[in-house]
Amino acid sequence: MDSASTPLIELRHIGHDYAAAGQQSEPVLSDINLTIRENDAVALLGPSGCGKSTLLRVMAGLISPTQGEVFYKGMLLRGISPGVSMVFQNFALFPWLTVHGNVLLPVGTLPAAEQQSRLEKVLNTVGLGAYEYAYPRELSGGMKQRVGIARALIAEPEVLAMDEPFSALDVLTAETLRGEIGRLVADPNHPLRTMVFVTHNITEAVFLATRIVVMAAGPGRVDVVVPNTLPYPRDPDAPEFKQIVERLHGILTHTNLPETTPAEAGRVVTPIDESRRRIAPVSLPYVTPAEVLGLLALMGDASTDVFELAERFGKEFGYVVRVVKAAELLEFVQTPQHDALLTPLGQRLVAASTADQKRMVREQLLKLKIFELLVRLIKVQENQQLTAEELLRELQAALPHEKPKLLFRTLLSWGRYAEIISYDQRRHLIRNYESRGAQRTRTAAAVPPADVAQS
Amino acid sequence: MAITLTRPVPERRSAVWLDALILVGFAAFLFGAASVAREWSQPRNLTVDIDLSLRSLPKYALYTFARAWLAYLLSLLFTLIVASWAFYDERARRFILVALDILQSLPVLAFLPVFELPLIALFPHSNVGLELVCVLAMFTGQVWNMTFSYYDSLRGTPPDFRMLGKLYNFNWWNRFWRVELPFGAQGLLYNSMVSMAGGWFFLTITEASTIGNQAYRVPGLGSYMSVANDRGDVRAVIYGIIAMSLVIVVVDRLIWGPLVSWSRKFKLDDFGTGGSRKSRLQLWLARSVAAQQIGAFLQRGKSRLIPPPKPPTAAESLVPPGTPPAQRGKFNRGLYYVLLFVLVLLLAKGAQSIWLLLAQVRGSEWLIILRDAGLSFARVLAAVLLGTLWTVPFGIWIGLNPKLSNRFQPFIQFVASFPSPMIYPALLLLVLAVGGTLQWGAVLLILFGTQWYILFNVAGAAAAIPNDIVCCADILRLSGWRRWQKFLIPAILPGLVTGWITAAGGAWNATIVSEILTVHGHAYEATGLGAYISHATDAGDFSRLTAASLVMALIVVVVNRSVWKRIQSLANERCRFIT
Repeated sequence: MDSASTPLIELRHIGHDYAAAGQQSEPVLSDINLTIRENDAVALLGPSGCGKSTLLRVMAGLISPTQGEVFYKGMLLRGISPGVSMVFQNFALFPWLTVHGNVLLPVGTLPAAEQQSRLEKVLNTVGLGAYEYAYPRELSGGMKQRVGIARALIAEPEVLAMDEPFSALDVLTAETLRGEIGRLVADPNHPLRTMVFVTHNITEAVFLATRIVVMAAGPGRVDVVVPNTLPYPRDPDAPEFKQIVERLHGILTHTNLPETTPAEAGRVVTPIDESRRRIAPVSLPYVTPAEVLGLLALMGDASTDVFELAERFGKEFGYVVRVVKAAELLEFVQTPQHDALLTPLGQRLVAASTADQKRMVREQLLKLKIFELLVRLIKVQENQQLTAEELLRELQAALPHEKPKLLFRTLLSWGRYAEIISYDQRRHLIRNYESRGAQRTRTAAAVPPADVAQS
Repeated sequence: MAITLTRPVPERRSAVWLDALILVGFAAFLFGAASVAREWSQPRNLTVDIDLSLRSLPKYALYTFARAWLAYLLSLLFTLIVASWAFYDERARRFILVALDILQSLPVLAFLPVFELPLIALFPHSNVGLELVCVLAMFTGQVWNMTFSYYDSLRGTPPDFRMLGKLYNFNWWNRFWRVELPFGAQGLLYNSMVSMAGGWFFLTITEASTIGNQAYRVPGLGSYMSVANDRGDVRAVIYGIIAMSLVIVVVDRLIWGPLVSWSRKFKLDDFGTGGSRKSRLQLWLARSVAAQQIGAFLQRGKSRLIPPPKPPTAAESLVPPGTPPAQRGKFNRGLYYVLLFVLVLLLAKGAQSIWLLLAQVRGSEWLIILRDAGLSFARVLAAVLLGTLWTVPFGIWIGLNPKLSNRFQPFIQFVASFPSPMIYPALLLLVLAVGGTLQWGAVLLILFGTQWYILFNVAGAAAAIPNDIVCCADILRLSGWRRWQKFLIPAILPGLVTGWITAAGGAWNATIVSEILTVHGHAYEATGLGAYISHATDAGDFSRLTAASLVMALIVVVVNRSVWKRIQSLANERCRFIT
């Protein structure tokens, strides 16, 4: 019971921003309180950009938060946490060291015999006994992550922190490794039973964690903490398991997807200062027309769960949410509950010809404040040509919380697709598309532009 | 039970003669070092007599070789310290980078007097001063691009590994050896090879110079060549060229080659089949007992030199609740400001003395400098243009043809490393023979010094053109001028521009050795900034030397920033293949 009295890790009012001196920036984390006790397996679940990796690094002492305090066993943490080991998403193995060298790195100060016995033990735990002198580049992704886990375990940490440990692996390998970690956590004889891991995969969280911390973005904060008392080993097909997954689906959708009419969408999509609302436009999610059209074409007529869509496309949940949000902003999709459903307009769009699709998208885009702003900006220019720098500056002023360059590229890709604007890449000039009627025929048949890189 | 594999022990067949060879090599190294030490400690002789006979060539080659490597070690040290400083000190960064840019553009002759007079005065009884001047002069020809490269690789170190270092409590020493140096190794090595060639380039000047009517000469290949050329001894010139070539080939094969193949293990990408491509030399070494012993010794030394990181402890990183944030590094910060103050003071003193020197230059003299700069500028441009004309087609031809580029690669590499000033007198005689003068001929000499940079970069860029694009150009039947305009030139443009920048920088430096030459005791001269600088050095007129050197550096930096860098960013933006 005494382990319950002093928690291993305690976060009090943690807030963090990456603002450079003299600059203002959106906080990554805001007022986070969290306690991790012995034998806890805590999942940090949330869409990308909610600061879950930052939070994990704060727990390990790699980042000192700009606000709040971190306690480790009741003591204030100032520096790297002595009892926390970390597993990285992309393994972070030194390519010039063998498995032997990589795994022994954290325990180099121990006597050689002790090093060797620990090495054998952890390599057996992760099933890499025969790979001691292999170089990382000889290993598959799953093997590399096993080395990463072995390196974290060899220091015999009190808390194992894992930053999306399975997301760089293919589906099958991730499944296997997840099962093995599940067995480790369930094994009462294994010394390591406390862990914190970051994930955006709901099933993974429910499979491994005893507590699931659902986080929300902008700024990163704890939304709900869901306890999970299912006995190990857990069966993803069991009804109780599915029930928790369903509940998490519901929570995540509420925090990520607007449930009501598009008119209210602005509140959820971008929290805007009320006083600026009149002029501040709603941002466009960073997706391309091709992605939205593709989603609409694949959705079908029935209403579909967003998570199911994500699973069907094999895409990250947060990404699908972005695409759905964009489609909703353009009124092609409704999102009752956590489902997505084509609107009548959306259905017409799917059935329309390429040229008509462009026309419909154009009409919808021009209803958006942000495109209104763009068109107006071009009009007020002396020669109807807007420079890229100017637009970037305006975007930054109008939407201080957005990433201006990414928003700029998104606007360009939509504006060019819908033939609202044209952009001269050589001179960085944006013009109204209509004003160049002579060239119209040449570009009319243009295909949707190439995908904007996803962040 | 764990299945533990032990490291495979290489076969020990045929190792005895290798051991013998290694021992002989070791003995030769000791002998060489002793011989160099003896030469250095001899009573001071500012103009040593050079023996043009074949017998003394090995000795001269050894001295030159030793100087080049000392200069290289100095460059390496400078690189590691200054690049790290620029990386970690955000406030100092901009100043360091600008300073490096200017220093990089200063001709080697501008540095010589700065080192020469104080160092020779410092060692009145031995050759050490003179030798150090030589080493430092070579250092100024080697160091800058290495520093820039290492700075870039510091910036490019993957953040995950920096995190890892932090997590395992690496101190700066550990971080340097275990993270930064390994990640920078490949870039640093490549630039070391380029730097070595840069160091050779001015060998004839660094080993035999005249400052203020006082000739300075140290024994070495450079001084051998300059004496041989002065006297017009064709046989000695040929011997010198052969000896220089041998030094270059030996350094390339025995030092750079193994290092490059060893450094492949520091590659981060997962797709390389690294480690498996061992050269025959490495296999032999792996079989030799002596080499194994040396390896084991180095390994032991390594673990002592680079102690394992101590894991973070509770005592270090945990404090009782309520402890106010620590005020760390107050002493260090104080020390830093004191050092910074001293540095600024030194810089101010230097600026003041430069100003005093410049103040002595009369207005009419500035006009002469500007006229000469204009002439040299024209020569540099002409050389770059001429170089482009032939290297572009040739570079594309070999670049697109892997077989050819494999065959030409070692040859081009050799020619590029060979210090062309050694054959300038021969080239000049050729120019004179066809009725030319040095005024025009200097362009040819400059061309020989710098065209290789363009060739290298063009061939590299051509080899990197994706095969799909080549096929597409063929299918579209692009031919003749359209093929050049729409396909080949845009495709190699980023490489070509990089080549131009390097070539133009080298060309300015080359004006110094090509606008004024002595052959057969007869001095030939062309009007230009290079000749002007040479004259000012000879006459010991430091105000004119400073003025002309600064003008040259200014031209290089300004043209780089206003013209080349712009073209480069344009070329990179539009003509780069994204894979």
